[in-house]
Amino acid sequence: MKRTALAGAMLTSIPAILEACSSGPTSGNNKPSKLTIAAVQGAEDGPLKKVAPMYQSQTGITMEVVEFPYDQLFEKLVTTFQANGSSYDLCMMDDPWMPKFGTMGALQPLDSNFGFTRDSDIPSIVYDVGTWPPPHGPVPPSEQSKSQHLYGITIVGNVEMFMYRKDLATTAPTSWDDVLANAQKFNKPNFYGYVIRGKATNPASSDSLPILWSFGGDIFDTSWKVKLDSTESIDAITFLTQSLKKYAEPGAANIDAADRDRLIAIGQAFQSTTWPAEVTGVVEAQGVSQVVGKMAYIPIPKGPGGKGLGMMGNWLLGIPKGSKNGSAAADFIKWLIKSDNMKTYVQNGGIPTRTSLLNDPALGQSNPYFPALAQSLAAQPNWRPRTDQWNAVETIYGTAVNQAVAGLKTPKDALTAAATQIRTAMKQAGYPS
Amino acid sequence: MIRAWRRLSRDERLAYLILLPALGAVFVVVTIPFVLVIIQSLSTEDGTFVGSVNYSRALGNPLLYEAIRATGVYTLIVLPIEILLGLGFALLVHRTVRRPGLRASIYVLAILPLVVPPVAIGVVARLIYAPGYGVLNVILDRIGIAHQEINWLGDPTLAMLAVASVDVWQWTPFVYLVLFSGLQTVPRESVEAAQIDGASGWAQFRYIDLHYLRPLFVLIIFFRLADVLRVFDHVFILTGGGPGTATQLLSLYMYRVEFKFFDTGQAAALAVVVLVSFSLLYTLIARVLPLERA
Repeated sequence: MKRTALAGAMLTSIPAILEACSSGPTSGNNKPSKLTIAAVQGAEDGPLKKVAPMYQSQTGITMEVVEFPYDQLFEKLVTTFQANGSSYDLCMMDDPWMPKFGTMGALQPLDSNFGFTRDSDIPSIVYDVGTWPPPHGPVPPSEQSKSQHLYGITIVGNVEMFMYRKDLATTAPTSWDDVLANAQKFNKPNFYGYVIRGKATNPASSDSLPILWSFGGDIFDTSWKVKLDSTESIDAITFLTQSLKKYAEPGAANIDAADRDRLIAIGQAFQSTTWPAEVTGVVEAQGVSQVVGKMAYIPIPKGPGGKGLGMMGNWLLGIPKGSKNGSAAADFIKWLIKSDNMKTYVQNGGIPTRTSLLNDPALGQSNPYFPALAQSLAAQPNWRPRTDQWNAVETIYGTAVNQAVAGLKTPKDALTAAATQIRTAMKQAGYPS
Repeated sequence: MIRAWRRLSRDERLAYLILLPALGAVFVVVTIPFVLVIIQSLSTEDGTFVGSVNYSRALGNPLLYEAIRATGVYTLIVLPIEILLGLGFALLVHRTVRRPGLRASIYVLAILPLVVPPVAIGVVARLIYAPGYGVLNVILDRIGIAHQEINWLGDPTLAMLAVASVDVWQWTPFVYLVLFSGLQTVPRESVEAAQIDGASGWAQFRYIDLHYLRPLFVLIIFFRLADVLRVFDHVFILTGGGPGTATQLLSLYMYRVEFKFFDTGQAAALAVVVLVSFSLLYTLIARVLPLERA
């Protein structure tokens, strides 16, 4: 009897043993008891945390959101992916991280593995940013032979926009010349005509790229040749760090987004670039801001060439290759981007990607930047160069812009030195430079 | 090996057995990672052996020398100030405060900065120095010293002083505690004899106290040099290494090479270079300032 029971137990254990011994991750068709999401701590994951329990109550799957600050999330994901770890079933990713994760082959394809297709209510650029290799623009040399797949679905439709005090200026600036004229006109003691987000590396980079692009400058051309030291690029950074800086807040070289929002919210500044999360989190937050209802939000103004280019800063959800619950994770993403669920997500502070929601007048009442965001997405905003070397490039570029903002170097000297450093870094990484 | 083991006395065998767990732990947490770092410094990301290429790239990068310069300036600011202030406080308390309760209170106060997380200190320091709303500028304005806003974090020199001031605030108490405990070891009879002979306070310090404190200075310099190499959080929060690279210390630079540039080979080479350089520096310091009392 004992022997029979033992044999029975061994036989029934075999599937579990085989499962435990399987070397690679599986698409995981079985319903798991829990899904773990690696998320960025802050305004970006707040709405996700609020709607996740709804999914839990509908499906019985526990949703665990593990939060990390921005920098740590990236490091955590890279090291997890390098080890092919299965700690996370889903991960939030800033869109400039996609090239790194795409090149690493760290994510499960959502289209071929889980049947994701494009939805006409969501702008195509939103799908493009989650696709690797990128569907347009230069493709890294090592990635040119790979077939394109969708690896990430945007859940935070961030695009960098422009904000100004509509209670003071009757017309919206359409060009950077208008921005400069307004900065000069409204600048007075303790009220700054323009706010520069000039802190070293990512802040200075994010703040200046839309201006760089709108002036016809760029970091790379279409064949990865560095053009940061081109006349257009130098003109753009000269415009920011010399012309606009005359009317900017003191200490601009150490200003980050929170400092910018504070200046706008206490009514000490006229205009700046902005991200949606800054609008909902501070500038239009009742009880926090003194300028609620006084700000207007528009797409990035036009440069000398007549183009204004916003910058994408989408946050995507992807499924790590190491996840053993791929199917369930994919179901969660599908659930989250359904129109009704996304509406609930927006009502909880989320930033949508669906055009129908961005143009919904009722939602627009509490989110005054929605029309500008819809226009920015429709106008095909730029994304940061799709290279796995972006973090290095951004660090070099953002340091150079910071040096120019601080007056430590002329824009020309700063950009020329940065261009040389970027050429060296890209050459080492196998890019033509 | 077995024969050598058998030749040992029972006590010696016991001593080695007791040491074994500690040695094993050191092997696991120090030796293995160190060997892995050396291997990484000689390889590409995919493990291909490349010899000294990573070392050439690390040493050929001008940003390394900017980081070394910034770290050197930072060290030259914080170490002397912390040692002088810590010594001053230690002598003051040792010679003037007699009540045990008061001494205990000072002891607790001195511990506080050491146990506060560096991130929290960085955030508070930012509230002090930040442009626009920094408390320091408000105070300077109110007391009439400076009516124009001082750009503490945007000017290279001031930014370095600002980040160094945070270090001085946090680590002077450490120096104080070490030197104060050293002063407790000075024999009372020696001091009393010197006082009877009419020795001045300076002479007591110069010829008695300093003699007992000398090995502790070496200890402090060792610890603080190691700490300076690890300084990261408050610099990251206060300036992010800026303006430009003015406050990009070695630790921040190495972090960026590893986690921003994802250049693991160069980062490993940097780690080895720094380790070897500081080992040499430590040897030099130990020779100049003897660890044992003469």
